[in-house]
Amino acid sequence: MPEMLLAIALVLLLTMSVGLVRVVIGPTPPDRMMAAQLLGTSGIATLLLLSQALGVPALLDVALIFALLAAVSVAAFTRRRAGADQA
Amino acid sequence: MSQPALLLAFDAVLLATLLALALAAVLSPEPRRAVMLFIAFGLWLSLVWARLHAPDVALAEAAIGAGLGGALMLAAARRAARAARSNDDEAAG
Amino acid sequence: MDHLLDIAAALCIALGAGFFIAGTAGLLRLPDLFSRLHALTKADNLGLGLIMLGLILYAPEPFYAAKLLLLWVLVMVSGATGSHLIAKRALRGDGEDMHGEGMQ
Repeated sequence: MPEMLLAIALVLLLTMSVGLVRVVIGPTPPDRMMAAQLLGTSGIATLLLLSQALGVPALLDVALIFALLAAVSVAAFTRRRAGADQA
Repeated sequence: MSQPALLLAFDAVLLATLLALALAAVLSPEPRRAVMLFIAFGLWLSLVWARLHAPDVALAEAAIGAGLGGALMLAAARRAARAARSNDDEAAG
Repeated sequence: MDHLLDIAAALCIALGAGFFIAGTAGLLRLPDLFSRLHALTKADNLGLGLIMLGLILYAPEPFYAAKLLLLWVLVMVSGATGSHLIAKRALRGDGEDMHGEGMQ
């Protein structure tokens, strides 16, 4: 069974690397941000599978931080400059 | 496939992509794109630490390297772009 | 019984990975930003949810399951909010970063 978890983690890692293409070529910044978001979610899934396969339960906390990181970077990206609306 | 072979394949993919990401981030001409690639790079590096059985380092890398650093650099890139634009405006008229 | 649970877990995890693959394919192949966003949210929520369900079935333990569920809820909330923000900014074109010169 650990082999199967590792194999699925490898598949997820491969899809992450393919999704990186969108970060590199993405025509507009929102495209890049979306791809980064998918990257974060796949990273969470990979970490969960790794934590079960390698027997390191602490990786769950790293996955939690990944989820927080995605929220922070999306907020930083879509932020408006304060006072830009009134001008 | 056996477990060592799978782990080896995992490491190989991880390393190759990490190097490609680092090169793409450094060689990128546009600051905002470079920051986006840097965030992805931090995420990837944190996966490497996780694979090396170092969850504490992975935590620090994800929180500080990619999260906080990425957000701050996004703001910095935005400010740099605005400064360049206003300089252009002054030069034009 | 244990065997059955293992098979169910493996099925769930494989299905979740399938969702991630579909999401990545959509991200790469769909023509415009909003359809790409649509493909992405499916992979985000359902793929991760199925993988977590599989892991819970694989190691049924209350605390572990609670932590995974908490993580899933966090990802759903932040993913939905983030996608909405990105789509709104892109649609109205008023984010500072959206099209470079979108501000006046």
